[in-house]
Amino acid sequence: MPRLLEIHKASKAFHSPEGGTITALDEVSLSLSSAEFLTLLGPSGCGKTTLLRAISGFEPLDRGQITIDGQEMTDRPAHRRPVNTVFQRYALFPHLTVGRNVSYALEIAGTPKAEIRTRVGEMLDLVGLAGLGQRGISQLSGGQQQRVALARALVARPKLLLLDEPLSALDKNLRRQMQLELKRLQEELQIGFVFVTHDQEEALTMSDRIAVLAQGQIQQLGTPEDLYRHPANRFTAEFLGESNLLPVALHDGAAILADGQRVPASGRGTSTLMIRPEMLGTAPVADGLTFAGTIRERFYSGTSNLLIVETQAFGMLQALLRADAPIAVPGSPVTLYAGRADLHIIPGGAT
Amino acid sequence: MLKRRKTLALLALLGAPTAFLLVFFMGPLVIMAIYSWLTPGLYGGVEWELFHLNYGRILGWANTRYDQFDPVYLTIFLRSLRLAALTVLSALVICYPAAFWISRMRPARRNLALFAITLPFFVSLIVRLFAWVLILRPTGFLNQALMGLGLIETPLEIIYTDAAVIIGMTYIFIPFMFLPLYASVEKLDPALIEASGDLGATRLQTFLRVILPATAPGIAAGAVITFIPALGNFIVPSVLGGAKVLMIGNLIEQQFLSARNWPFGAALAMLLMAGVLILLMAQLRLARAAQGEPRR
Repeated sequence: MPRLLEIHKASKAFHSPEGGTITALDEVSLSLSSAEFLTLLGPSGCGKTTLLRAISGFEPLDRGQITIDGQEMTDRPAHRRPVNTVFQRYALFPHLTVGRNVSYALEIAGTPKAEIRTRVGEMLDLVGLAGLGQRGISQLSGGQQQRVALARALVARPKLLLLDEPLSALDKNLRRQMQLELKRLQEELQIGFVFVTHDQEEALTMSDRIAVLAQGQIQQLGTPEDLYRHPANRFTAEFLGESNLLPVALHDGAAILADGQRVPASGRGTSTLMIRPEMLGTAPVADGLTFAGTIRERFYSGTSNLLIVETQAFGMLQALLRADAPIAVPGSPVTLYAGRADLHIIPGGAT
Repeated sequence: MLKRRKTLALLALLGAPTAFLLVFFMGPLVIMAIYSWLTPGLYGGVEWELFHLNYGRILGWANTRYDQFDPVYLTIFLRSLRLAALTVLSALVICYPAAFWISRMRPARRNLALFAITLPFFVSLIVRLFAWVLILRPTGFLNQALMGLGLIETPLEIIYTDAAVIIGMTYIFIPFMFLPLYASVEKLDPALIEASGDLGATRLQTFLRVILPATAPGIAAGAVITFIPALGNFIVPSVLGGAKVLMIGNLIEQQFLSARNWPFGAALAMLLMAGVLILLMAQLRLARAAQGEPRR
């Protein structure tokens, strides 16, 4: 049983305007099982959009191989690939109505008129635009245009849907709502989604798995929990969520912190210890780490309190406490505790 | 009170320019419209007597001794229509790909290209047309080059043919065609072309279903703005068409200047104007339909 999508050692370089070359993809390998929601996450210029365009067929690879459902795609032009794309700025056809935009792929495929009508109707129902088929594109709001773009890409029943930062043009509340709807849609249709974003929160909310990209390489590939709790390197730890990163020396089966505290760990040399802000608390924990310091700043957000605490050995630490936790005012001393189970040593050295 | 004073002020301000336009802009047109229904004088000028045979000579009901219907006028009308249409077509064929090419250039180059397209405007039209005589005549550059290359043995007869007129008019009207085309091509979002391919369309299907409809307003605007002056043009046919290729513009010029039959010339001009107006209205209707006004 072939996997829905296989990417094998995909490489791509561009010529920069200054005359050099930019490596957009550097031997990226990736696979996707059917009905999986995979997010390509990374800062701009990390290669995530290039990878998406390589899958859709708009960006030919320099080297490497792409197969979809066991079929070789590498040299196949975009219009003959069994994938569809939701574009960043939707790219809806302005001279066609909503209905004609949605039916476009079916008209091209020569689907009988009666079938087109039912399937367009179904699609508009699915994305919550029932009855708007006769509208012009310019008469729709941004959120509605987003839904038309989705319906247009889904009507041909692709096995794999590609989404290129489709939510970035929406305001925050609408984005939140669309995130949940996209996830629901993906589960309902049972097809593969490859979703590109630079928004880590969006990635954590929706994905089955996340591939973190930087400098044309996959930094880490795993479930959201995996990536958040056990980042494979410093880049992932910093890009995904907030973190306190403390240098440690690995020695004799223990990681030794700058102030001499130690926790059990394997390996040798120097490394980095990651503590997420919400893992630090004011309640004493047996057998954990203790940090004494002074509260410098406090940010209240309704559900939580973020403390910036200055410590002697480690500089500033962030601690995210529940909003109802007893809080001292800035300037007063505080002791923070972290349980041993909540610590993570980032493998692969200090950098 | 205040509203009335505003109206008065507006009238005072707009009155003078409006009167100017009425007298000096509409005036000549009205004079020509009236002349076209008057009797031609024996030695030029007009006699103030209603006369419908100016139109009758062109359209077919004149059969008196002095004023006979002659189908040659309609032939000339039709030839003008054909040559103007072919001019529009050849200008479109040249400008459409050029517009795509130039719109995808880097900004510095693009500005240079746009400047180059408008450059001919800086030289007198007559001078440029005589340059075309030098190119197209039997001993001209084109024939010499083709014979030198051994492609032809005897010079091609281009000058003083329909082809020469079409070449000359295409040359003149390329900027008129190019600029509106360019404006609509530049606005075309490249993502639309990708979206169409993504949804399974071949390049040809994308062209017919997305690119062409999206740039249709520019094509229509360029066609109209080229067609109208090409239809009434008389300089190009008289320089490059000689006596053989007579267009409606030449005929009108002859009636006014050599034949001194102003009413007949005026009648020809009125029919030309009527034809242009009908075409313009048709274009307007098409443009409205193409703008995708939603059907409810």
